[in-house]
Amino acid sequence: MGVDLARYHAWEGRLQSPWMATLAIVRVALLQIFRRRSYWVVLVLGMLNFLSFWAAIYLVTQFDIPPRVQERLLEAFGFSAYAAPGQDSGYIKFMQRQSIVVMMLLAFSGSLLVGADFRGGALPFYLSRRIDRRHYIVGKLLAISAVVTLLTTGPALLLFLEYGMFTSSASYWLEHWNVALAVLAYGLVLCVVLSILLVTLSAYLQRAAPIAITWSSLFVLLREMGSQFARATNNQYWRLIDPWRDMREVGRLFFGQFDDIERWRFAWYALAILSALCAVALVALVRRVRAVDIAT
Amino acid sequence: MSRSLLIDIRNVSRSYGRVRALRDVTLALEPGTIGLVGNNGAGKSTLLKILLGLLRPDAGEGTVLGYDICRSTSQLRGRIGYMAEAAATVPVLRGVEFVTLAGDLYGMPHRDARRRAHEVLNYVGLGELRYRRLEEYSAGNLQRLKLAAALVHDPQMLLLDEPTNGLDPAGRVAMLRLIEDLIAETGKSVILCTHLLGDVERLCHQVVVLDRGTVICSAPVSQLRSVLDHRYELAWQGPDEPFRRALAQNGARVEAVDGAPRMAKVDVPRSWNTIRFFELARSHGVVITRLKPEEEDLSRMFLRLTGRLADAPAVAAEEDAPHGS
Repeated sequence: MGVDLARYHAWEGRLQSPWMATLAIVRVALLQIFRRRSYWVVLVLGMLNFLSFWAAIYLVTQFDIPPRVQERLLEAFGFSAYAAPGQDSGYIKFMQRQSIVVMMLLAFSGSLLVGADFRGGALPFYLSRRIDRRHYIVGKLLAISAVVTLLTTGPALLLFLEYGMFTSSASYWLEHWNVALAVLAYGLVLCVVLSILLVTLSAYLQRAAPIAITWSSLFVLLREMGSQFARATNNQYWRLIDPWRDMREVGRLFFGQFDDIERWRFAWYALAILSALCAVALVALVRRVRAVDIAT
Repeated sequence: MSRSLLIDIRNVSRSYGRVRALRDVTLALEPGTIGLVGNNGAGKSTLLKILLGLLRPDAGEGTVLGYDICRSTSQLRGRIGYMAEAAATVPVLRGVEFVTLAGDLYGMPHRDARRRAHEVLNYVGLGELRYRRLEEYSAGNLQRLKLAAALVHDPQMLLLDEPTNGLDPAGRVAMLRLIEDLIAETGKSVILCTHLLGDVERLCHQVVVLDRGTVICSAPVSQLRSVLDHRYELAWQGPDEPFRRALAQNGARVEAVDGAPRMAKVDVPRSWNTIRFFELARSHGVVITRLKPEEEDLSRMFLRLTGRLADAPAVAAEEDAPHGS
């Protein structure tokens, strides 16, 4: 017998923990991004970069040439599966290149995923259900992290798998499992820092243009300022005002690519700066979500 | 404290800085349909926030549906369906996705939320429109959609904030009919927060009137009606001014009808017997030609209670307008 849809039917299930709702926030955020055709342009750019790395690894590993020559060819392309001390791992380089696409995508998605909630009154919709501010903030941070992972950590791990798959044996995976862990850890740093900064910025600025301008300035202007100050004062620590550089330096910590104690110290300073930045942003974010009128 | 009470709050106060939004509000309301009325700034929104567990009172305590308003806020919101006044939509989503998200946020398992979203959208009459994007919904359909989002987890109580706000007269009637049917069919308790007293009269069995942060009246609508002044439309032949004066001297409030002579609307206390009209008429040489009882509606009563009867035309005009403030 069919259900009479014109009549009201009771629901007798059990409600789950509000933390499960954070997954719904992530799912909806991804849906919002993938439904915007303009965002696909940026996503395709990210895919092209990944595919070029993928193709380079594939082609080079298919030549019947000694492994050392293969490495040289890949290094010429900007990828090195075995990073020497003092040199960046190919995975860091790849993730850094992907980060440019990530920055562009996040610059525009901040207003859609977070700003619109404040601007269009969706925040009361979220907070008047069973979730509270903690769940909302964690859900949004996870949503941004999912985008970052999709464009950086995920493809980097695929390259790691590809290299091991197309070289002679599984020994690459077994001997360099720490590279996969380093990729995950570096990806985690990118996710934490970028998501906290973007959600906070979007909660305050809300509209696409101010968010995009400020977001770009944060990563382009500060880099330039850091370089200028470093040159003018002959103090390389000025470069640490650039968050991208800080993230890369922290990433090097995981890949263990330090040839001197000064670089090691540099990375720890970068970690301290990022931690402080995230802590301040998180406090500002919590205050912002709390300050919004809930039932208007 | 009685578990059977829908709302049981005592001496609840809340301030925003130096502004006291609520002062010692005490309410004990039985399950049913309750109208929460008041002017802008009366404290309705603050009371709603407290009832939803979104805002902690500075002082006072209480329960809603048996849940403590300070300590059991998550469970409390799991039992309440809240329909916000604001648009409160998530961009890019389709109707069914929006209602499913509401179910997810209430903590329903996702499959249940999705199935239930289809059910409630059909119930509120949006079955055909459920795959439309939210940006494409009309104001009336958006209100129905928000009602569906409030119903998705089958709450015990609905908290509807201005559900007919922004609707044209036909949309308003349709929305009221839908809520009326819902109440009749499910027996759910409903708190209707509105400044449209017509909506309260139509749907509610109890009304709470807030003014300047205090409850100035909380009573069943039927009981309020019984304490309303009796109002009559009166026409007569004979001396005009002396008869008006005599009515006023005997405790009646006399109101001219469009400046017409020998005609008035008269509010008299409930103790007044209609025979007195005729006694006064005889003693002043007047013949009453019309005596038609009129019931004072809630809007007049609200204005009288809040001492704003002088602003009545302006407020009445506001109520007639489709967009409330």
